[in-house]
Amino acid sequence: MAAKIHIQEGTATYRKYRIAMWTCFIISLLLVAFAYVDVGTISIGSNKYNLSLIRLDKAIAFTIAILGLQVVVGYTGQIALGQSFFFGTGAYLSAWLVADHSWPFLMTLLIVIPSCFLIGMVLGLPALRIRGLYLALLTFGLAAVFPSLVKLDKLYTYTGGAGGKLTSNYKFVAPSWLPFDEVAQGLQKIPFLGGYFGDGPLSDREESRMWKFILFSIIAAICFWLVSNLIQSRPGRAMRAIRDNETSAATSGINLAATKTLSFGVASALGGVGGVVYVAEIGIASPDDFSSLLAIYLIVGLVVGGVGTLSGALIGGLVYALIPDWASSTQSISFLPQRWLQGPTGSLILGLLLIILTLFLPGGVVTGWRRVKKRFFQIDSATS
Amino acid sequence: MDLLLQRVFDAVTNGSTYALLAVAMVLIFKATTLINFAQGEQAMLGAFVVLQLWDWGIPMWGAVVIGMCFSGILAAFLERTLIRKFDPTDHLPLVIITLGLFLVINAIAAIIWRFDPKSFPELFPSGNAFAINNVRLSWYTIFAFTSCVIVLFVLQTLLTKTKIGLAFRAVSSNIESSRLSGIKIGTTLQFGWALAAAAGTLGASIYAANPVLQIEPSMMLRALILSVTAAALGGLDSLWGALIGGLTIGFVQSVVVQYIPFIPNEMSLSAAVIVLLIVLIFRPSGVLGTRAVERV
Repeated sequence: MAAKIHIQEGTATYRKYRIAMWTCFIISLLLVAFAYVDVGTISIGSNKYNLSLIRLDKAIAFTIAILGLQVVVGYTGQIALGQSFFFGTGAYLSAWLVADHSWPFLMTLLIVIPSCFLIGMVLGLPALRIRGLYLALLTFGLAAVFPSLVKLDKLYTYTGGAGGKLTSNYKFVAPSWLPFDEVAQGLQKIPFLGGYFGDGPLSDREESRMWKFILFSIIAAICFWLVSNLIQSRPGRAMRAIRDNETSAATSGINLAATKTLSFGVASALGGVGGVVYVAEIGIASPDDFSSLLAIYLIVGLVVGGVGTLSGALIGGLVYALIPDWASSTQSISFLPQRWLQGPTGSLILGLLLIILTLFLPGGVVTGWRRVKKRFFQIDSATS
Repeated sequence: MDLLLQRVFDAVTNGSTYALLAVAMVLIFKATTLINFAQGEQAMLGAFVVLQLWDWGIPMWGAVVIGMCFSGILAAFLERTLIRKFDPTDHLPLVIITLGLFLVINAIAAIIWRFDPKSFPELFPSGNAFAINNVRLSWYTIFAFTSCVIVLFVLQTLLTKTKIGLAFRAVSSNIESSRLSGIKIGTTLQFGWALAAAAGTLGASIYAANPVLQIEPSMMLRALILSVTAAALGGLDSLWGALIGGLTIGFVQSVVVQYIPFIPNEMSLSAAVIVLLIVLIFRPSGVLGTRAVERV
């Protein structure tokens, strides 16, 4: 057995280890951003895979929505499948405020978060009586209904009907004090690797893309921070108690109704934030983006990352944003007939992932990764 | 008045097909207290197999029977490989598995038969049984309703008069006791899944044979929600409840929504979801279902 590194929680070494991990993470994020700010592709064989910031921004949007699912499904144990409803609600509210009232995108969060929170709480009220499979059924129905609600004639002036709501009147402009050009040119001077970072200063579009990516990453980071605090606090413990056994949670004095409603509210608010980020990135809210298929795909993200793990949300978001796209840009694999590569290969892969992971790795990728990590790092808890 | 009567006939047409799918849901729920989200997709796959067989020159009803057998065997296989190893009281993994099946079956059907809608051969004589003024009762409506009732009678007989039916009812009422009395639980549940898939395939074939509809991989998305609502409304463990639920949903969809002025026409799916919500809040066991009692 290889030598194991033991780290005691709460010591200076542990703090250094945490800081080192986070710095690595942030630096690699920025490097990826600078390397792929123009339409970046990775080539494997004769196929090109898109890894532009647009994809990554979408991944951030899905990540935030999946984070919401982690709260309600992963930590509270309520089988709620309707996250796409709140994702869509957030997206449409934001699109309406931006397009018709010329608000800036980030300001719309001030409206979207409280209203999605309230809608989530109200729609969560039936969940106090409805449990398990019935809740799954109802929330799935909710997700299926959303596109037809948006397409209603009466709401046409607000939602733009089947054509969708354009928000292209608002542009993200990077503030001039950010040293994007300098950093980019600095990176280009690195020997051997400089070529990966393009050439010359960034254009306006690239700068705006970069700015969006950084903004969205910050929003996602704030969401992660808030949710992880929530999970570790008293209401979070109450949620986990409900997940493990509802009856025993009630007997230990946990207010079931309040805790469940809170978790629905938080999940829906996060879904709304995800929707805002999504529409801010793609510039249009169209009804069929928020169908019940999206609800299932978000569940795929939840399961692939790992139910009940916060970092799983990030992996889930990346998986959903990248795999269907990469599957459809795979034009040729020598041993597969062409027919299997055209058509909904992405959804086939996601479905298989869902089944295979549930069968063989119920904790998702994150649990698998933790198992591997345990071979090399042992983090002892403070009390031991 | 003419219009109302016409709408009622439409309600019966749609309601019967929802009822057939709802019966499939009910069979699986009875056996395993699981709602199979992939039921609609399994049925769609079965209907595509029927279409393919017919293309190859097999007579229509023969194709339907072979298609039903095919999806029954497939469902038994899926139950054995994917469902059985999970604890039936822990719902989340099971829901996730059926959602995964949903995606996989949908994608496979779309890869094999493509997305473009195809017309389905007619299962029943075309034309109208009678037409007075503007009221037309088509043969399709009559036959769809009749086949729904026949299926229910056959299932009813199967469950009450045969040995495997007895075993099925024993398992659905209490797994532990039936295991103690020597019933093979696995085989019985597999039988339930096969039966459900066969009923679903028949339902999807009849649904697709509707002269105004065509068959395509996504045709069951709407029907899934509507038939699940029908099943919940009738009581998730009641066979005849599925028929009542199906007809009610058909009625809500084509009569209530059309006649209440402030509900727009596109709301038929939403109306179904609202019905579902009301049923689940006020009478979770549905109209004919048995009430669940939780022992502590």
